[in-house]
Amino acid sequence: MNRVIALCFLLLAAVLGFIHIEGRPAWAPFAIPEVAQIESEEVQSDSKPGAPKLKLVTQSAIAAPRADWVPDTGVASVHAASLIALKDGNVRAFWFAGSREGAADVVINSAVFDTKTNAWSAPEVVMDRVAAEKGLARYIAKLGNPVPARLSDGRLQLFFVTVSIGGWAGSSISTIFSDDEGSTWSRPERLITSPLINLSTLVKSPAVQFSDGRLGLPAYHEWIGRFGEFLRLDAAQVIDKRRMSSGRSAIQPLVFVNAAEDATAYFRQTRSAGQAKQIPVSHTQNAGQSWQSVSDLEVANPNSAVAGLTLQSGAHLLALNNIEAGRHRLVLLMSDPKVGQWQLIDVLEDDEALPNEQRKEYSYPYLMSATGNDAHLAYTWDRKKIRHVYFSSAWLTRAFSQLPQQSSAQSMPDSKEAP
Amino acid sequence: MMNSLMQTFALLEMSITCSLILIWILQKIAQEVFPFIVKVLLLLILANLFFWPLGMSLELPLAAYVRGVTGDLSIVTTLLLWSTLVHSHKSTPIAVKFVILIIALAFYPLALGFSMHDPYAWGYGSITFLLFVLLLALICGLANWSKGVWIVGLAIIAWSVHWHESANLWDYLLDPFLALWAFCSLFAAVLAKRKEKARSGYLFRPG
Repeated sequence: MNRVIALCFLLLAAVLGFIHIEGRPAWAPFAIPEVAQIESEEVQSDSKPGAPKLKLVTQSAIAAPRADWVPDTGVASVHAASLIALKDGNVRAFWFAGSREGAADVVINSAVFDTKTNAWSAPEVVMDRVAAEKGLARYIAKLGNPVPARLSDGRLQLFFVTVSIGGWAGSSISTIFSDDEGSTWSRPERLITSPLINLSTLVKSPAVQFSDGRLGLPAYHEWIGRFGEFLRLDAAQVIDKRRMSSGRSAIQPLVFVNAAEDATAYFRQTRSAGQAKQIPVSHTQNAGQSWQSVSDLEVANPNSAVAGLTLQSGAHLLALNNIEAGRHRLVLLMSDPKVGQWQLIDVLEDDEALPNEQRKEYSYPYLMSATGNDAHLAYTWDRKKIRHVYFSSAWLTRAFSQLPQQSSAQSMPDSKEAP
Repeated sequence: MMNSLMQTFALLEMSITCSLILIWILQKIAQEVFPFIVKVLLLLILANLFFWPLGMSLELPLAAYVRGVTGDLSIVTTLLLWSTLVHSHKSTPIAVKFVILIIALAFYPLALGFSMHDPYAWGYGSITFLLFVLLLALICGLANWSKGVWIVGLAIIAWSVHWHESANLWDYLLDPFLALWAFCSLFAAVLAKRKEKARSGYLFRPG
């Protein structure tokens, strides 16, 4: 009799399980941001009737990229800055700061950059260790890697990494929400992404949007394996997950959406000695449901993070350390996806000429556009400060127009300096 | 609100689990099985100690520190542990432990990045995977281990109502502690069998 009741109960569980699966949202294509169809010839010929309203900007009229510092909170160590555009056109930055990376006093700071006055607000604490552990109802030892996203309902979502035990390899991702553009935040919630005590999932790069309004978050493991994973999220819940790479050689995936079903992911390489120190690449043709490793992007990578951005013109930007060892040189590359060649358009930092002991670290770049045509870059400056650089749309448009065309680019190797 | 309730229930679960493990250790030390009422009283006292913040220099309840390290245990582990309060004399069939171990040995390397193939992704909504789990539960029932049917049924229901933070069925069925327990139990069973064999061999050895 007991067995019959148990089997009836199992039947009930089966029905609930099937209802749950049926109610699960289907995988959706990527949301494609509107791309202004601007040919480089058109950029240079604003007098043509019907041409887009983009003025030909002469070299002298274009302001050089403008750099400043994200406000200092007086702590010894800062790292992992990220940015998001606010509804009023301003830009909010997030970073973590404390006495040293991984210390218990590390907090996640935020400040707003006023794009009209070019001034930063005073930094405020978004999350500290105690608030995180009280909200998550579990012990938290340290915080890191804040990454903001905009939800389809207009709210801000901030992902960040928490560690309860061990080093960064023991990380899990948590998230908070804001209804008021980051002034106040909800209680933190935990993303469950790994079957082994939810250990070792981190986030570094921005999320991409699906056409159903949900987010796809590129994440990575760096414990037993070092590989990328693509999380499909419904707010604070992981509703699906797909592997972007495997093994121990590629972390911190950065996703460029090319079309509704097509995207390319660039990784930070973590290969062992003797292997190519270049950017590993994966590709999907079904909106992230499956990924295939393809040949490397032939740009040097010294095991350091890569940042990227797609502009409305369709141009792709990459900020990275294009050297095989060290992080003392940081550059900005641009590519026209139709041509597929990366061109160096700006050297942001370069200590190549200095002796080793005097070289500084310029790392963890993060790119974001407030208007779709401009670019804000934030990066760690020697682990002591966060540098912010603004590239105007005019400057980027000019750089795009100077990219080699298909016929000439075919013969050019990757990452050549633009004229 | 839902998140807050979920965290409270998760802490309560962890408090009960920690208390039951302590009671099991106490029984081992005392080398006797406590009467049911003693176990319930001990559970009430210990669970309260784990659940409520004790103050002093502790920022959180004791259960939150354990949860920080272990995460939420699977429903299967939790219920197997909790059932020892009532049926401490009835052990889990050895075949079940063997199946758990085999699944864990195949599952964890793949789920932790050994290849591009990730069985953990099945847990989000694969009907085939759900059917496989139901089949295993059905086999438990046919093998006259009804407790297994109840436990798997409850795990599936907990997953479908999103009882824990995870939306993945694997997290309701399996965790590394369950795999470790299955391994240790099997190892202990093999050792006991060898010991028994050696003893019987000694008894019947011709003099």
